[in-house]
Amino acid sequence: MEGIKQILKELCEADCIGGIGDALEVAKKHISSFAKIKLSGNSLVAEIKGKKDYTIMLDAHIDEIGMMVTNIDDNGFVSVAAAGGIDSRMLMAMKVKIHAKSIVKGVFCSVPPHLRQNEIGVLKLDELYIDTGLGKAAKHIISVGDRVTFEQNFAELGENYVTAKALDNRSGVAALIRCAQLLQNKELNCNVILLFSDMEEIGGSGVKTESFTLNSQCAVSVDVSFGNQQGVSNDECGILGKGAMIGISPILSKDITEQLKKAANLIGTNYQTEVMGGKTATNADHITVTKSGIPCGLLSIPLRNMHTPAEVVCIDDIESTALILAEFIKIKSEEIYERA
Amino acid sequence: MKELKNLCELGAVSGREDAVREYIIEKIKDNSEIKIDPLGNIIAFVKGRKAADKIVMVDAHMDEVGLIITSITDNGMLKFTTVGGIDISVLLSRRVIINGMVGVICQKPVHLLSNDEKEKMPTIDSLCIDIGASDRSTAEKKVNVGDVAFFDSSFENLGELIISKALDDRIGCWALIDIINSKPQYDFYATFTVGEEVGLIGAKTAAYTVNPDYAVVIEATTAADIAGVEADKKVCFVDKGAVLSFMDRATLYDKTLFEKAKKIAIEENIKYQVKFVVAGGNNAGAIHQSRGGVKTVAVSVPCRYIHSPSCVASFNDIKAVRDLCVKLIEKMASGEIE
Repeated sequence: MEGIKQILKELCEADCIGGIGDALEVAKKHISSFAKIKLSGNSLVAEIKGKKDYTIMLDAHIDEIGMMVTNIDDNGFVSVAAAGGIDSRMLMAMKVKIHAKSIVKGVFCSVPPHLRQNEIGVLKLDELYIDTGLGKAAKHIISVGDRVTFEQNFAELGENYVTAKALDNRSGVAALIRCAQLLQNKELNCNVILLFSDMEEIGGSGVKTESFTLNSQCAVSVDVSFGNQQGVSNDECGILGKGAMIGISPILSKDITEQLKKAANLIGTNYQTEVMGGKTATNADHITVTKSGIPCGLLSIPLRNMHTPAEVVCIDDIESTALILAEFIKIKSEEIYERA
Repeated sequence: MKELKNLCELGAVSGREDAVREYIIEKIKDNSEIKIDPLGNIIAFVKGRKAADKIVMVDAHMDEVGLIITSITDNGMLKFTTVGGIDISVLLSRRVIINGMVGVICQKPVHLLSNDEKEKMPTIDSLCIDIGASDRSTAEKKVNVGDVAFFDSSFENLGELIISKALDDRIGCWALIDIINSKPQYDFYATFTVGEEVGLIGAKTAAYTVNPDYAVVIEATTAADIAGVEADKKVCFVDKGAVLSFMDRATLYDKTLFEKAKKIAIEENIKYQVKFVVAGGNNAGAIHQSRGGVKTVAVSVPCRYIHSPSCVASFNDIKAVRDLCVKLIEKMASGEIE
């Protein structure tokens, strides 16, 4: 497995939720040879220094959806609350990892179908439990507040697609790492900060605090958006394989949006557009209103089955995103040079 | 447990049991005379140390529940229906294997669901399998209508227990292979049957062919000993021993045999329990009505989340089931049981 696919595999098979997990370490490993690393809060910051005092921030959230332990009973059955938007209808017999004193494997269960009173309703999260197979020993290993992530490994799907848990948003993280690879050995007139932010799925406190702390003059956020699949009309989504989705919205900077399109056209890479009427439901919404304002653009990777362990993306779309970002940085770098 | 792991990880959806059949033949051929019947059942005559007074048939089914492809869409997605009873909740966002490839069952993102959609389960025909084909012609190169898919789920430990797909009924296959290879006291017939999940198909014909006096069915049965279920609805308990059944949805078991089986378990110091909810059904349903009737006992391993990719059971129970079956075969074959 070459290059970006291998990095993506390692990222997806690691975890990151609410400040715990090894995904930050994996990202650090792949970026420390091109950038100066520091940990800030629960986020990872990587800086590529340029000649002038102008900073572009590239953001991709590194956290994933998951759950928090709320109770452990005497028979080793664990109750949880959601951390991020989860469809409880899919949880029956789904495997998870509880990040306790050690990693505990578990499986979701509830009253079996043939014993259920109402045939019509759906199971809510408070009717579901995690079976750990540990019996009364569970209470000594697992604590209330422990984080829970989905358990699913990375797999290839056909030639160009991949499936794993946490492709939202390790795809974005991989795109940033690939962009940094492309910028290697390039002389830049601007600084580039890559922010791998935590807590996007639960209100965005990671990006809010880090955009405040880091001093940047403009930004692009990279996330995932809806991809074509059964039950979703083509108006509501991007098409897998047709390239990065450049976001267009009243909240995003028109200039940056145009520069992202220009970048894509200059290198002749495929892209799509995603038009939204207001907020984008990504970190871009928070970056834009930081301090006195930071003009922000948005690139999204089309993705199927969002917020499930069965997410699917096309590898070519991650590459397209990275290429557009790297070219955008070059455009900005020349603009800074001309200004001075 | 390595043998059980190997068995569980093979894919053998009803009607396509080849992989498991070949594996079992390899494992028992040195200790039995094997015939394969027109439906694909293995009918194995096992020579014991002594000739049997009564013909005993011991059955485990080779097939597992799965999916069968009904059509391919213009977008390269696979539509399917279930083979055997699978609740839709354990299909959503699940991974499957089809023709050696990975596929995922799609799920509409939670963000795009209407309030109505959030309160209902999707229907099977709104689901599809994604194998990463960009269009129909790409998909058609790899999959045909009628191909089958099974859960992509590996055999692992879960605390003190085991978790895997297809514990129903690879645990029966494992136990029966073990009994065959352990120099049984008396001759008996071992049947590894097909199509249990689609109507006890193989057992009907295997019972006709063997024409036994007694039968033992080795199975997995549903255990609901989990949080949220009332005490009297738990059916049976994981790690509390081999399950004996007095009635399920397919069979009202012979009372004498049922009582004798309990007695034997106690005498032989084998942990056992009685299933206390009438639920499920197994090959005994077909066997006990074969020809003029066959006295039949079912001995089962309690199994949580049966018919899902994540069945959970205890290896202690699997051994108890095997041990109890060995004794039952002896008492039946010698005629001592009645």
